[in-house]
Amino acid sequence: MTEQIEVDGVPALLAPTAGPAHAGLAFRVGFADEPLARRGITHLVEHLALYSAGGADYHYNGATGVEYTYFHMQGSEDELAAFLNGVCASLRELPMHRLAVEKELLQVEANGRSSGPADQMALWRHGARDYGMPSYPEWGLPAITEDDLRDWVTRYFTKDNAVLWVAGDGVPAGLRLDLPDGVRRPFPAPSSALPVTPAWFPGSSGALAWDAVVPRAARSQIFAGVLERVMFRELRQEGGFSYAANTSYEPVGADRALVTAVADSLPEKHGAVLGGFVDVLAALRVGRVDEADVAAVIKKQTEGLRHADEQGARLPGQALNLLAGREVLSADEAIARLKAVTPADVAEVAVAAGKTGLLMSPRTDAQWAGLTAAPGNSDNTVAGTEYRSLDRPDGRMTVGPDGVTVSLGNGRATVLFADCVILRAWPDGARYLVGHDGIVVYVEPTLWARSDTVARQIDAGVAAAVRVDQPARDPEEIPRPDPVVAPARSRPRLRSRLSAFFPPSSHTLWGLAALVAMAFAVWLVYLKKSFGDQGDSPLLTAVAVAAVLFAAHAGRRYFR
Amino acid sequence: MLRAMSADTVSFDAAAAYPEVAVVREKLATRDWAEIRRIVDGLTPAGRTTVLDAGAETPGVEDMLRDVLERDPGDSAAAVMLANRLIDIGWEIRSGAAAEHVTSNQFAEFHDWLRQAEAVLIDAVARNPRDPALWTARLITARGLQMGLAETRRRYDRVAALDPHHLPAQTQFLQTLCPKWSGSWEQLHPWCRDAMLAAPPGAVQGMLVAQAIIERWAALPAGTGTAYLKGAPAQAELDEAARRSVLHPAFGRDYGWVQAANTFAFAYSLSGDRRGAAAMFRMLEHRATRMPWGYLGDNEGEIFDMHRRRAMSGGAR
Repeated sequence: MTEQIEVDGVPALLAPTAGPAHAGLAFRVGFADEPLARRGITHLVEHLALYSAGGADYHYNGATGVEYTYFHMQGSEDELAAFLNGVCASLRELPMHRLAVEKELLQVEANGRSSGPADQMALWRHGARDYGMPSYPEWGLPAITEDDLRDWVTRYFTKDNAVLWVAGDGVPAGLRLDLPDGVRRPFPAPSSALPVTPAWFPGSSGALAWDAVVPRAARSQIFAGVLERVMFRELRQEGGFSYAANTSYEPVGADRALVTAVADSLPEKHGAVLGGFVDVLAALRVGRVDEADVAAVIKKQTEGLRHADEQGARLPGQALNLLAGREVLSADEAIARLKAVTPADVAEVAVAAGKTGLLMSPRTDAQWAGLTAAPGNSDNTVAGTEYRSLDRPDGRMTVGPDGVTVSLGNGRATVLFADCVILRAWPDGARYLVGHDGIVVYVEPTLWARSDTVARQIDAGVAAAVRVDQPARDPEEIPRPDPVVAPARSRPRLRSRLSAFFPPSSHTLWGLAALVAMAFAVWLVYLKKSFGDQGDSPLLTAVAVAAVLFAAHAGRRYFR
Repeated sequence: MLRAMSADTVSFDAAAAYPEVAVVREKLATRDWAEIRRIVDGLTPAGRTTVLDAGAETPGVEDMLRDVLERDPGDSAAAVMLANRLIDIGWEIRSGAAAEHVTSNQFAEFHDWLRQAEAVLIDAVARNPRDPALWTARLITARGLQMGLAETRRRYDRVAALDPHHLPAQTQFLQTLCPKWSGSWEQLHPWCRDAMLAAPPGAVQGMLVAQAIIERWAALPAGTGTAYLKGAPAQAELDEAARRSVLHPAFGRDYGWVQAANTFAFAYSLSGDRRGAAAMFRMLEHRATRMPWGYLGDNEGEIFDMHRRRAMSGGAR
């Protein structure tokens, strides 16, 4: 039986457990709350708050997610109390002497993190803001100051924005949650970078990813499970197009959830994976939902829930519900809701999901499936001084009081200073700007004629708050317009795919830094491919080259 | 014995070979969809696909078919005919010209019609995944929208699982296997021969081998094609295919026979085998198909008639 109590002004859930006692403290703050120019600040707070526990010999951890950050440990009552008391003390007074070291540790952690096939989805759906943040690296770290951290903690790490859970016999006697007062922080409103859904964009790998916003409900959870079963059957067992086909269900905010599906693709099967997936979704949408699939998913999820309940593993999720202002359901209540789901309910979710879907296609055009291309290009330009590319005869850059536009042929990327969410600035004058829509302009002054003052113009236009200074680069990382053959080690993963569109003097230091521009380039390649029936199109080739230009020279600092 | 022949009597109408086509057209005119369903539902799978496809040539039927689908989204026969109608409208805009002679506007409109057809087909296949006629139409949209070989093969495999020797789907997939679309000669020829051998002796599938040879001939530089057609390898393949289909005692009047006989008539005519061609023309009388005669020009009727007369005058006994 889960008991709802309050501990030192913090709402709390207490439940018995068959296993070892554990407890956790969660706050309603995560990546989605961070501006890109301070991306990483919540994770940094989490690391600093855990520093005090570093020497202890017990099982603890912390995690920063999209919407929540939590500290958790397993042990005796005394150990639980000591750990959480220590976290609260650290939050009240962060060990700032650790700041530089923890920043470095976070960068090491980021370098070791492998990327997943669905990583780009958030950026394409939301842009470079709120729920788009999971797509971005912790680019704000170099700029985060002690004052930034104190402000962040004051805003989010308060007793009014927290929830506690304890799985055990009772609240540990020595527990004292000494947190400052504050307010409950609502979830950020999700921005949209998609004028029309369902939408698609071309992925840079052979994997297919798809996500959709659905109501947060048992029927949506069952839908995700059914979708996985059907994908596995159609794409792997029968078709042999994919090896792995999975789905996930993640609550978003209080009332919505994101269902994500990922299917890898065996070589030369990209088109079939896309076609098979389109058909799988369509079948569910028209109501061809196998009752046996629904029953199997209900059984599996029910068993999982029951098991989690016995281990006290449901408790953290229930606590987050409390923090989100949602009802806290007992295992029996949650199971009853799962069991009430019918095939018709699943079909209803499929219809809703179809309308909000975003697809990353596996290197192939997906317009045929009735999806609209997600914007990968700016439709506006700025007025100002024009600069000539030293690399490309038709490359143009315009820098004005309102922003920067880089164009080549029909390809265009504009970042307005007012909409710039991060300006990464190198001492040599290189400037990397991201607009709130996720569009990137990357300026290497050495590649533009008479561009000595460009960095100064940009710096003057962009708010100081979004500037993130970068360490000096190795001189050989600074591109020159002379033909320089890129060393083999710096060749991008996509090179083989895009080689036809590379500028001959490619001094390309690739990185995920240019996610949007890269994807734009890939999109253009496929656009070009889709027009292949009409013979070669120099225009599209030129635009693709432009996109590659935007994308190239990306800092590889975080992604070496 | 032979009736008077001239270009005027040449017919490209599927109704000339398959009487159900004429009945379906009459019923389309009176909007009697229930009767059309009764007719097509009684046909073999390949016959049903052929007749639904022929019905789709009737201008203006799309409105009625949309009404039918609105009342019953599960009516896959209506979906097949509607999708084929939309494909035909698109293809008329594109024209059969080589890609370099088609304007970008034509392509844009063409693709737009094909996407409309594909939307109808996605929904219909979701409801009726076991209808080979739907998957056959999806082979055409897959090619026109350039979905690539992997997706087109997925679609063909679905037809083959439902009806292993579905000629309307096989002739579509054959096109995709050509180098001009998504395939290669190395893929095309063995596939055609395998499809022929998998079908019973006397079946129409031998024409796939002949069609592949014609595709290859058409892709050769002017002046070198005849040598290829007359060459021993092509002749041996043609001979084997003819003996297994059009010249086989079991070769009947199944759906596809007119297409098969025209294909062999073309191959024989162009390789100078008047006797072989004459046998085909005798079988065909006035029944012609635009493919493959259209490879020789837009006036397919006159071309068919010219080769028919040449074959009948010289080589026929």
